[in-house]
Amino acid sequence: MARPNFWTLVSIFTWALLILLLFIPVGSVLFSSLYDRAGNFSLANYATFFSEPRFFTAFVNTLVVGAGGLFGALLLGSIMAFCISRFHIAGGRVVSLLAILALVSPPFIGAYSWIVLFGAGGLVRGMLRDVGVTMPPIYGLSGILIVFSLKFYPYVYLLVLGALANVNRSLEEAAEGLGLTPLQRTLQISFPLVFPALSAGGLLALIHAIADFGTPRLLGRGYSTLATEAYAAYSAEVGSNMSMGTTISVILIAVSMIFVLLQRYMSRRNVYHGNLINKPVKIRLRGWRNVLAHVAVYTISLCGAMPVIVSVIYSFRRTSGPVFQDGFALQSYERIIFNLGDVVRNSLTFSATSVLLIVVVGTLIGTLVARRTTISTSLLDGAFMIPYVMPGIVIGIAYIAAFNTGPIVLTGTASIIVLSIFIRRLPYTVRTTASALRQISPSMEEAAVSLGYSPFRAFLRITVPLIVPGIIAGGMLSFVTAINELSSSLVLYVGSTMTMPVRIYLLILDGDFGVAAALATILLAISGLAVYIAFRFIGRNEQALL
Amino acid sequence: MSYLTVQNAIKRFGNFAALNDVSIVVEKGEFFTLLGPSGCGKTTLLRSIAGFTDLTSGTITLDNTNLRAVPPHRRDIGMVFQDYAIFPHLSVFDNVAFGLKPRKVPAAEIKTRVMQALAAVRLESMAERLPAAMSGGQQQRIGLARAMVINPRLLLMDEPLSNLDAKLRIELREEIRDIQKQVDIATIYVTHDQEEALAISDRICVMSAGRIEQIGTPQEIYGDPQTRFVAGFVGTLNALEAGSATEGLLTRLGLSSGAGLTWAVRPENIGLAGTGMTGEQLAGTVKKFTYLGREAHLEVETPVGSLVVHVANPSRSEILAPGAATTVVVPRESLMAFDAEGQRTEAEA
Ligand SMILES: Nc1ncnc2c1ncn2[C@@H]1O[C@H](COP(=O)(O)OP(=O)(O)OP(=O)(O)O)[C@@H](O)[C@H]1O
Ligand SMILES: [Mg+2]
Repeated sequence: MARPNFWTLVSIFTWALLILLLFIPVGSVLFSSLYDRAGNFSLANYATFFSEPRFFTAFVNTLVVGAGGLFGALLLGSIMAFCISRFHIAGGRVVSLLAILALVSPPFIGAYSWIVLFGAGGLVRGMLRDVGVTMPPIYGLSGILIVFSLKFYPYVYLLVLGALANVNRSLEEAAEGLGLTPLQRTLQISFPLVFPALSAGGLLALIHAIADFGTPRLLGRGYSTLATEAYAAYSAEVGSNMSMGTTISVILIAVSMIFVLLQRYMSRRNVYHGNLINKPVKIRLRGWRNVLAHVAVYTISLCGAMPVIVSVIYSFRRTSGPVFQDGFALQSYERIIFNLGDVVRNSLTFSATSVLLIVVVGTLIGTLVARRTTISTSLLDGAFMIPYVMPGIVIGIAYIAAFNTGPIVLTGTASIIVLSIFIRRLPYTVRTTASALRQISPSMEEAAVSLGYSPFRAFLRITVPLIVPGIIAGGMLSFVTAINELSSSLVLYVGSTMTMPVRIYLLILDGDFGVAAALATILLAISGLAVYIAFRFIGRNEQALL
Repeated sequence: MSYLTVQNAIKRFGNFAALNDVSIVVEKGEFFTLLGPSGCGKTTLLRSIAGFTDLTSGTITLDNTNLRAVPPHRRDIGMVFQDYAIFPHLSVFDNVAFGLKPRKVPAAEIKTRVMQALAAVRLESMAERLPAAMSGGQQQRIGLARAMVINPRLLLMDEPLSNLDAKLRIELREEIRDIQKQVDIATIYVTHDQEEALAISDRICVMSAGRIEQIGTPQEIYGDPQTRFVAGFVGTLNALEAGSATEGLLTRLGLSSGAGLTWAVRPENIGLAGTGMTGEQLAGTVKKFTYLGREAHLEVETPVGSLVVHVANPSRSEILAPGAATTVVVPRESLMAFDAEGQRTEAEA
């Protein structure tokens, strides 16, 4: 009986991994937040948090940007999904492509591109001023919310699009037969059916909005959130206040967790299975309605992809030092080749290493979770929810808290960056592998066994070929996330382990947008290639990107 | 010497006994069917023989070897699955050839054997296709060919037809029966469809709640059920209401109405007066009349309870409206008696 032993080992290994890479870091954060500098248990940090106006403001601001990002993404995403699924829109594939661009666009570039266009000296703002239209610069809360809405709408759009495509048309027809107006039909029939997708997409937008700290930092002009405060507490040059950083982290995790549980609770009864027999048909709109639908769809998708477009264009602009000149040149790329080769190399090796680990370990654990249903595996499944809701900045701080001193010291190494990416993305692979395996009927392997293959060979010959395309595709998509990961690396990097997103962030802070744009374009090209490879394996499936 | 024997098989899941002391014997070339309601343990028994489930206790021997000591992939038992379990990434040909590879059959022989097996299930023209887009009936034919081609010592089928539509089910069950006879392979077939079981089996084993109720030929199972459960599960049954009317009927027929006995009768074994049947007569009123062409089914309210009566070849003029008075004839030999445990007993006066 070699197989049970093997899986027992995998199970032990998984728990060890979780304890080391998740529970100890999270525990350290909690521990550090609950003890004062002298090492005594105290709630002083929390008292400080709730009494100091500065933190309370950040707390409220976090909820405000979370809610704003949520509603902005819901609004834009639903409009997009509704128009694309119900009306004929010319160039629908271009729209999907633009949504993917918005989704994989390197972080920070979004905020910065908007500054380039609508900031104090913004291009578009300047042009408008020349024709007599004045508008306020994009800084502050409104700017953050605009960027969040445009960056996160694809979560809602892609999920709701999938759900709307599966709403059985007979249901709407039946409602029509009952004399409901189109608005009533939408509210009473379609809305409950797409609610799970809507809330899941909204939740993703919300969690990302809460976790994002680059956007408030660049656009906020003093508008602080928990993420920026946590980073500030951690990175303050003088008197870095680790225990305040960890306290804020705990609160940030708690806030994310509450929203995840809330979403689960709200959509608990709403599980509808799509019926593909009577798919909705697309209506061909006429006249001004048609124009309106096209304008809405293209405005949203072009604005969403705007940062990418701006970066690509600016990466080819002629520069003199950090200052842009007229005309185009490859100077920015040359500077990357001469000065920043190691940053690109770091990004590629770190991402490739973590993805390799993620794929191997994630597939093993996914198989364990899918095939051995015991209490311990359901616990495992639950434990993997934690990294899913942990903001990157918190993971970074947690890893510093856990691995700065003590038996395992990892700070300043490449391993700590690789491992932080690994643990954040591992749940995704575990889940996709487990759900892929659950879809393969167990009788498939049993058939192979009855035909003379040992259980292990049956697994290799039948199950593995069936899940490999999904695993490769999942690996490619993890690669996209890994190589674009910024917030945890920003906490964890040292000079020699700098990655492309970190460099882009620093370049933007230095005002060197040409090189930042060129790096971002390279990042985008790599991400685009990975997405392309993934889609070659699993077919075009934008939802897999979420 | 018997070919496959299962003796005193017990399988417990926790405290629940899915198999409770089951013993069966299957002969070479026999088509043996496990029949019973959902959850009675048919699949559990089949999977124990295949090796996917290990018994809590009991013995299984095949051709005088102890099967429980052999791991499932060495048992040489072909299996056909309810959900077909066709490998979607392999062509029809490769699916069927899959079991020949570990048997180290030379390539040339693989080709001839696979094509023969595909010809037997009438799929030879589709050998190079991928199975994904094929119909359920075609996929199950692939499953059959794949299980047969390895010349297994035993063929197991777990409700292979239950996902197909009614017409295809009848067509394919005839095919399965023909191929099985041609290849002459001992087969255990699981179904909960009594008609299917009667149509294709050499012998049927009726199970209920982890126990065997009766094993016998289709004629024995249907015509001479040994338990109340078998009589009710295979075919329709009229139970006579206990009371003075039933006792009177039994006395008139010369049967003893022993204590604790229940009486039942099949609808086709009783008839209406004037159709040539002889027996004791019961006056009644028609509650329902269903005309089915070759047959008519009546529900008649009588002193011994509501009785369903099947009338063969009803004449067109003979339609009885609900409420019409009629007379039911009950022949003496049509009555079946069951004791308090549900066992069939002969209750002569
Ligand atoms: N792995 C298991 N764990 C616990 N109980 C089980 C397990 N497998 C089967 N059972 C139980 O054993 C009983 C018999 O199951 P089995 O699958 O053999 O029934 P069946 O006769 O094949 O029914 P069906 O016609 O529905 O296929 C059922 O009550 C089932 O719930
Ligand atoms: Mg079954």
